[in-house]
Amino acid sequence: MTPIVGNISLNLAFGFSVLSIIILSIFLRSGDYRLYLTGRRLSIGVSLLSIWATIVLGYQLIRSNFEVDYVAHYTSRETPLLYKISALWAGQAGSLLFWVFILSLFALTVIFQNKNTHKNLMPWVIIIITAVELFFLVLINFVTNPFLPVEADIIVANGLGLNPLLQNLTMAIHPPLLYLGYVGFTIPFAFGISALINKDTSSLWIQSVRRWSLMTWLFLSCGIILGGWWAYQELGWGGYWAWDPVENASLMPWLTATAFVHSIVIQEKKNMLRVWNMVLIILTFTLCIFGTFLTRSGIMSSVHSFATSSLGPLFLGFVFLILIFSISLLLFRLPIMKSEKKMESFSSRESGFLFNNVIFVVMCFAVFWGTIFPVLTEAVRGVKITVGAPFFNQINTPLGMVLLLLTGVGPLLAWRRTSRQSIIRNFALPASAGLLTAILLLLLNLAGYVVISFSLSVFVLIAMVSEFYRGIKARMSRFGENPITALITIISKNRSRYGGYIVHLGIVFMFVGFTGNAFNEEKEFGIKVGQEEHVGIYRIKLSGLSEAERPNHYAFIANLRITDSQGNFIVNLRPEKRIYNHRNPDPNRRQPHSELDIYSTMIKDIYSVFSGVDKENQTAFLKIMINPLVNWVWIGGYILIFGTMIALWPRKDEV
Amino acid sequence: MKSNNKFKIMLIGVVLVVAGWIGWVSSNPENDKAMVAFVSVSELLEEGIQDRTKLGGIVKPGSIIISESNLLDCSFILEEGDTELPVKYHRTRPDLFKDGAEVIVSGVYTEGVFVADDLQTKCASRYEGDLRDGESYNLEELES
Repeated sequence: MTPIVGNISLNLAFGFSVLSIIILSIFLRSGDYRLYLTGRRLSIGVSLLSIWATIVLGYQLIRSNFEVDYVAHYTSRETPLLYKISALWAGQAGSLLFWVFILSLFALTVIFQNKNTHKNLMPWVIIIITAVELFFLVLINFVTNPFLPVEADIIVANGLGLNPLLQNLTMAIHPPLLYLGYVGFTIPFAFGISALINKDTSSLWIQSVRRWSLMTWLFLSCGIILGGWWAYQELGWGGYWAWDPVENASLMPWLTATAFVHSIVIQEKKNMLRVWNMVLIILTFTLCIFGTFLTRSGIMSSVHSFATSSLGPLFLGFVFLILIFSISLLLFRLPIMKSEKKMESFSSRESGFLFNNVIFVVMCFAVFWGTIFPVLTEAVRGVKITVGAPFFNQINTPLGMVLLLLTGVGPLLAWRRTSRQSIIRNFALPASAGLLTAILLLLLNLAGYVVISFSLSVFVLIAMVSEFYRGIKARMSRFGENPITALITIISKNRSRYGGYIVHLGIVFMFVGFTGNAFNEEKEFGIKVGQEEHVGIYRIKLSGLSEAERPNHYAFIANLRITDSQGNFIVNLRPEKRIYNHRNPDPNRRQPHSELDIYSTMIKDIYSVFSGVDKENQTAFLKIMINPLVNWVWIGGYILIFGTMIALWPRKDEV
Repeated sequence: MKSNNKFKIMLIGVVLVVAGWIGWVSSNPENDKAMVAFVSVSELLEEGIQDRTKLGGIVKPGSIIISESNLLDCSFILEEGDTELPVKYHRTRPDLFKDGAEVIVSGVYTEGVFVADDLQTKCASRYEGDLRDGESYNLEELES
């Protein structure tokens, strides 16, 4: 298996994809079923060849074939096996190949799943998926080829190795998860566009993509949360979200996708919002491509720009092509898409969903605006105005509060119209609990968003718990079940509803965690061995400095003893200052890296960074942060995953 | 029909309010760190800008001076093309900060010194590096 095999596979995949699209188009005109089968098989061939090429590249990485430029750039002999494999998505060419690899897996699944269903939709679904594959195959064949050999006049004895920041288990799985999310939305997009082209106004396509969308949404959510977790554990600035352009790139499709997974429920149940759902899936898919572009083109300088490249114009061209094609198609079909049904009342579940959708989309626009603002101001005024986290926080905090409110309000509303009695019955308890919390917090001298956020969290929490309680009580009185059987039955009888409520609970946990940011404390200082420093209510004592030599780095270790103000022992923390490649004679090649240490509880995290060492004076320079409630964000993430899994789990009658 | 119009007005209202909010924050953010102009060193020196600015450049090799009494205190010279600017920074430095590193600093220019409160480094050259700088052999040299 030489690199040539991979190269030839990619060439063939490119040719097959062009052929497949042409033959399927001829089939649509002539109706000759044999042409459909040929086109379909060619498309399967594209996927298989792309998967094969990815395996070949993986093999080159594992056996460290430094004749391949990509392998020499991102791995070295010393790179552990896991990170040799993860180098597949560490660089630009590899990650684009990996994109096609995932799309190929999805494409095969869709093609085989729908072998005998959706006969009218499938030809266009296959064409659209293959066209997306074609775009990426053009990039990896002609612009940034992962199998390119190193320049002919040198022999590489050892590769450059993988960035130590990326040598971390989280960082090995964060990109694939995000990619599963980005790539996955190709499928609902393909079904939606195919339904449009076929003038299919039924909700059939929605039913067939509901689970795909939810699964993809879950991958995207996990990818984003994991990215934040990595930033918190590794980067040492003490936060998990910086509103960096690349983070925004993943948040934008997440926002529109969240709107989409909500509003397709309305189309499924009421056959309303058909145009709106099309708009959402077009936006989501476009933002996924745009996200890949932002991450990979290096147009925005950020921590994520591990690569800079010439892909920009091609990606932007593709984004515009998708937008122009889908929007004009939608406009063309508008007359048959309009729904006859109307919204009946503001106090209906439909209207709750609609408002949640609007807030998600304007929030996405706000993030988009802030992300491209520097580019805009530079073009219009000639000055590049950079936009920092305070800008995003200021805009998105009130929007987030409205969303949090709707998280609780939406599920309490009935379809069509909620009667006054049931509004009073459903809202009385959660609303008074929220108000009570607000009063208590105001008495504790807290103010502003903190009070709003915590009281809304209590409101949503009580609202969700009382929904479960009502369901359980109804079954207990009707069927005489015990509470636990009743709980299990209501969930299994209505997985998407109760799974959704659990996700909402996860969101509450996350908001509590976000609100904790308002109480962060931070201190940077130098300290001699034996001395003590106060940070917040804690005392930090440097009890010693030690050193250790390990296989690929040298470490200075600060031994910190943390006590509270009364002197009660809490924990020992050992943040490290590491020097990678410490044996390299050229000091410029030695790579310092701060390995931080965190003491984590439900109430707060004590976060320590060892930023510098003065050995002669036995002094360590430290950054200590007290970050309240951070754990709630991660726990919220777990609850979110759990709830989505419940919603995704197939019903018995589906098996 | 009537109720649908009511909805449209309501939704347009929501969108307008949020658009207004975004516009308002864009033109006057609460926090002076929210929006900062990115200028070149020569623009800063010529125009004598007093506001917070952001600058990009290279750390002049050999110019880093770290205070003996406090390792956190550091000064260096930022090079952008032919222009140079002395910079002071008193916080934890990123791991990749060193001679020749590409950095972005934000802060205020006062009395001939740029006092930075934020310093970001671009990725180390090694990881997007030139294979020729690594452990590689030139074939022509090997033959001769």
